[in-house]
Amino acid sequence: MSTVTLHIDGNEIVAEKGLTILEVAGRAGIAIPTLCYVKGKPTDKQCDVCVVEITDYARHGLKASLDTDGLFRACSTLALDGMDIQTGSKAATTFRQDRLAAISKTHFGDCKAPCNLTCPGQINVQGYIAHVAKGEYEEALRLVMERNPVPFSVGRVCPRFCETRCRRILVDDPIHINHLKRFVADWCMTHEINLNIPREKSTGKRIAVIGGGPAGLTAAYFLTRKGHDVTIFEAAPKLGGALRYGFPEYKIPKDVLDYEINTILRMGISIRLNQNWGKDFTIQDLTEQGYDATFIGIGACVDEPLEIPCSRKPHVYQAMEFLRMINEGKEIEFGKSAAVIGGNNTAMEVARSLLRKGVDSVTIIYPRAKIEMPAHQRNIREAERDGVEFLLMASPIEICGKSTEDSRLRLDLIRMKLGEPDKRGRREPIPIPGSTKKMYVDTIVSSLGQAAVKEHLEGGEIESQIELSPKYTIVANPRSSQTNIDGVFAGGDAVTGPKSVIQAVVAARRAAENIHAYVMNADKEPAESRFNFTRGKTFDDVDLKNFEGIAVKLREKMPERPAETAVQDFDEVKLGYNEKMARREAERCLSCGCTAFDRCDLKRHDIDYNININKTGMGVKPFYKIDNSHPAITVDPNKCIFCFRCVRYCEYDALEVRAQKVVQKGQPFGVEIHFKDNCVSCGKCVEYCSTGALNKKNRIVPIQAEEVKAVPSTCPYCGTGCQIELKVKGNTVMEIGADLEQGPNFGDLCVKGRFGHNFIHHPDRLRTPMIRRRKSGSLEPASWAEALDFIAVKFRQILEDKGADALAGLSSARCTNEENYAFQKFFRAGIGTNNVDHCARY
Amino acid sequence: MSNNIGDIIDNDVLFVIGSNTTETHPIIGLRMREAIKRGARLIVADPRRIKLVDDAVIWLRHRPGTDAALINGICHVILSEGLADEQFIAERTEGFAAFSSAVADCTPEWAEKITGVPAADIVEAARLFAGADRAGTYYTMGITQHSSGTSNVLALANLVLATGNIGKPGAGLNPLRGQNNVQGASDMGCNPLNLPGYQRVDNDEARKRIGEIWGHEPKAEPGLTATEMTPAMENGAIAGMWIMGENPVLSDPNMSHARRAFEKLDFLLVQDIFLTETAELADVVLPAASFAEKNGTFTNTERRIQRIRRAVRPPGEARDDLTIINLVTARMGYDHIVPLSRGFTNRLYNEGGYVTAPPLCDEVFEEMGRVWPAIAGINYDRLEHGGLQWPCPHENHPGTPVLFEDGFPIGKAIFTPVEWQGPREMPDAEYPLYLSTGRVLAQYHTGTMTRRSQILEDADNGPYVEISPEDAESLGIDNGDTVRAVTRRGDITLPALVTERVNKGMVFIPFHYREAAANLLTNDALDPVCKIPEAKVCAVRLEKVSNISNMAELDR
Repeated sequence: MSTVTLHIDGNEIVAEKGLTILEVAGRAGIAIPTLCYVKGKPTDKQCDVCVVEITDYARHGLKASLDTDGLFRACSTLALDGMDIQTGSKAATTFRQDRLAAISKTHFGDCKAPCNLTCPGQINVQGYIAHVAKGEYEEALRLVMERNPVPFSVGRVCPRFCETRCRRILVDDPIHINHLKRFVADWCMTHEINLNIPREKSTGKRIAVIGGGPAGLTAAYFLTRKGHDVTIFEAAPKLGGALRYGFPEYKIPKDVLDYEINTILRMGISIRLNQNWGKDFTIQDLTEQGYDATFIGIGACVDEPLEIPCSRKPHVYQAMEFLRMINEGKEIEFGKSAAVIGGNNTAMEVARSLLRKGVDSVTIIYPRAKIEMPAHQRNIREAERDGVEFLLMASPIEICGKSTEDSRLRLDLIRMKLGEPDKRGRREPIPIPGSTKKMYVDTIVSSLGQAAVKEHLEGGEIESQIELSPKYTIVANPRSSQTNIDGVFAGGDAVTGPKSVIQAVVAARRAAENIHAYVMNADKEPAESRFNFTRGKTFDDVDLKNFEGIAVKLREKMPERPAETAVQDFDEVKLGYNEKMARREAERCLSCGCTAFDRCDLKRHDIDYNININKTGMGVKPFYKIDNSHPAITVDPNKCIFCFRCVRYCEYDALEVRAQKVVQKGQPFGVEIHFKDNCVSCGKCVEYCSTGALNKKNRIVPIQAEEVKAVPSTCPYCGTGCQIELKVKGNTVMEIGADLEQGPNFGDLCVKGRFGHNFIHHPDRLRTPMIRRRKSGSLEPASWAEALDFIAVKFRQILEDKGADALAGLSSARCTNEENYAFQKFFRAGIGTNNVDHCARY
Repeated sequence: MSNNIGDIIDNDVLFVIGSNTTETHPIIGLRMREAIKRGARLIVADPRRIKLVDDAVIWLRHRPGTDAALINGICHVILSEGLADEQFIAERTEGFAAFSSAVADCTPEWAEKITGVPAADIVEAARLFAGADRAGTYYTMGITQHSSGTSNVLALANLVLATGNIGKPGAGLNPLRGQNNVQGASDMGCNPLNLPGYQRVDNDEARKRIGEIWGHEPKAEPGLTATEMTPAMENGAIAGMWIMGENPVLSDPNMSHARRAFEKLDFLLVQDIFLTETAELADVVLPAASFAEKNGTFTNTERRIQRIRRAVRPPGEARDDLTIINLVTARMGYDHIVPLSRGFTNRLYNEGGYVTAPPLCDEVFEEMGRVWPAIAGINYDRLEHGGLQWPCPHENHPGTPVLFEDGFPIGKAIFTPVEWQGPREMPDAEYPLYLSTGRVLAQYHTGTMTRRSQILEDADNGPYVEISPEDAESLGIDNGDTVRAVTRRGDITLPALVTERVNKGMVFIPFHYREAAANLLTNDALDPVCKIPEAKVCAVRLEKVSNISNMAELDR
């Protein structure tokens, strides 16, 4: 073999003669980007992304072929002796950037769906909806729990940022995403699914988590997954924090919450209950006990006091205090009428709880209009539906006045009006002089917001040093999650004041990442790139042609108890979807995000080369209809970048890609991707599509940051023995691929090999032994023990009565060698007969 | 296969007989097409115009069940024209004279009368095949699923020996295995006559050696084949059966007969991944793990032992078959049927409770290597990065891609004279057409797996019967009409596909569909030697049921 010696990026490389620069660099481990390269199948329509600089090209007899002098395509230029090649020179980089920007200009689609992008938890929303649509509920929940360990609660109380951006709004209604999340969580609970969430190898690091609410549980969950040894310190007798003591039972049932918490604890988390930070222990104690870091997730449960005269009277409560009593099941008599002061989410729950405690008339008092209440409009509507009344544009003055005989308290109010706009245009409510009004009630609850800390943190020296905000929350650096004390982190409502559960989850997850980096003395994993192709950032930007042909299908209503009966007890109001409803709702999803998210080469190169598509441009409207006519493949020509990899990977010459015209920079217009009649649906073209222009119909779940294992195996169909790779996420085979280097098939598969594996997770799979207990009866589920005993009794009986040759075994070409070997050995060395065969003859 | 898949592209001539390779073995079909692109020439022998015919230089369209006559005719030409590989015959074979005289009368003209293939084509095929440096022969059930299946294979063997096309790369006698591990199941001795590694049960020495490893010597009398078990169940000789991962009720020829037989059993145990038609008849059904949920090895058609690996957990309480065998073993009180990790035993404790050790497949494999020396050199470590082809007798052996390069295990290969015998059942006045059965690309066997994959269902058109335009016209059948196919054993109703893929006088039905199960029609007549049923040819009558497309038009 003759060789050449050359320099690539200053490294001397000896290579086989006759190879291209791209091949030589690839073998030397030097990556050169390309969008069109197919081994052994050159094209005349190159993408020109693989250019490299050869300064002394004239010496090698090369002629400049590209606009920039000294640049050559690595894929079609032979590596010659003595060449000096720069793969990352400025000229090459600029050229590649120009090419990538030009290619990206006509690429039209969404990398991530708007729901994904809007979710504060960055949950792969489209992914779990698609899992539901496929009936893979366990995998759907596992996907949610990649980023949110409290889906049971969030699925009941989330403000649903995602749904506000659902593109289906432009067709009819948004998808009821949150109801689907709740469905998968509840389904897995009823079906006793153990998710077997993996835990990394133990690091030996110990982390203390103060507070067992959503933030604390989340931090503990993610830190445990990373292999740390976590202990939660909780002041209350039970874990759950706001989930248990803030949300009444009709919103988050306690048994559901217990199940949720146990799921997290089962991973191996220590808990210390009834431990009051500052009284029972201090951070100094924790340090002395050997904890390597501390996370503070104490929430915000200190009520803002009602600062009006006589607010300390009996029968006047503060919201958190009130909800805690309710949730602890304390029997308190609240009388016939009540007033709730404040318009936040907590106030709504207080009011609805009062109704359920038998109070006939509950009025929420708020100094502005309903639309201005901080509570979520959905919560306001639910309170109204229960029969809560609203007294708006009114403010309390005092509770000192003498009450009447049939009520316990007199609340004096004053009517408000909106004042002149201030500099920011905001109109503060101001009292209308002389407009006082008396209100006679038995109970008053104020809900004016919460802080994390009352005046200052108690405990020890460290506690007193922790920096607090003017709003009495703990100050933590938003990037590092760390407080001003080294090794002490904080997140959730304790830092932000009252926010939604999912926001606490996000803060705690981020804190867990930071704590992991801190205790391991490692760099944080780089944040996911925000690079995103989009079909329109806002609804106004989205071309309605995208939705042509999509029939109106209204959202599935959540079944719920009628208000008249729901207010009589604390049982859950919303009953949850059944399986059919969930499937129907999930099938409404428009699947905006790209299912090639994990394999798109265009996106990868654009990110690597810092292409700002917002400036350089991307496709803005759909020129082509999405084509679903192929049985296995969905074609979206809007994403095609005309690289012809599909055509060249096709072993059957069954694919045609055409364009009406191709403009100067290679952008195609009038693209047609056509499968010919001789297509055998082997799917190789999809596997190697450079973007999401070709998609497998059975792989509708986009894979984002989730870990996917490639498990090498052998195809279970014909006798060729093709080597396949099962791409596994969690406990689900997502798709089948094949290694180009592994024989006998070298990357080739047939339609069965690539698309015929849905049987693995089919609902018809047998899950339990079955016995026919009476000869004419039907097959009934049985335990393994019963089934095995039954088998042994029958086999022995036949052996005794009729001898060994009255028994026979039929094994299978579907089973392994080991199983077949053991099976025939059972009959020959156990039973004592040669009556054993398999199905080779048919 | 005597040769390997990688070899195919090196063939100069490919002879494909009784194999619709592009549909049943698509990747092997792909390699054949690659060979053709590189200049190889293809001879196809098939009654149907299968896809490979498009690439063939010669298509021998013989009548169903006339394979041996066709092959003998080809052999006759080779011998009479002096095209045989005389050196090979002299050095490596025996029995040539008997073979030569057996085909002496099998002139192309004689063969034409039986097969319907023009004599000139037979001559041309013989010259092409014999003239090639490397000619590979490929066949599947189209050759074997006949009452004369053994003869057909022997006839092919004669052809291969006469031209010296065995024991060298790019040639060989290559049956393509239809099921992923049919090779392995045979290798492992799931066969009433053979112990693992094709060591016969009536071989005293083998029985003794294996008996020592097992601690229990197997019986010397051969057992019953699967096809013989059906009548034995009917007459009560077999009272209990254990079926592991098979669906004979649907895959057996003459399936209503098979169903009756299974219903007669005292006890039927079935373990499978789905409730198959056979499992529905069982007294106990055990839930098994699929290939994606367990570890182990499969052996492909080129004798390559390859790993499968557990990728996901089995659903519910399902368990892999090896564990199930061990559980039953423990309940039966047998020791060490399934090799267990050192120090583990299955034992009984308390009342009826059992401790069973989890079996490990690599340890089972290790015992397999001791029982069958041809795989003694293979272990799981060696299989980690790709398969190995047996024989592989020691750990430094690279495996054997091409068999018989250095000789035959029996010394010299033997020619076996073959006399053509027609199918057991021929068309007559009552059942005037030939029926043949087979597979389609997007389906597999009885469809328990493929029919549960939506894409495959979408890619497939469901059951149909292929009928020639001539026969369709004479029966008044239009494309898409619903017809009833009737044989002496049963009838099914399905749509007609009028196509030139089949010749006048023949119809074809894929056997995957339970709603129109072709095996209700097929003949369970057996080959006398290997007991394979004659699923590939029988006599059938087609009746038009109604013209649904016209009815639909009337409705409008």
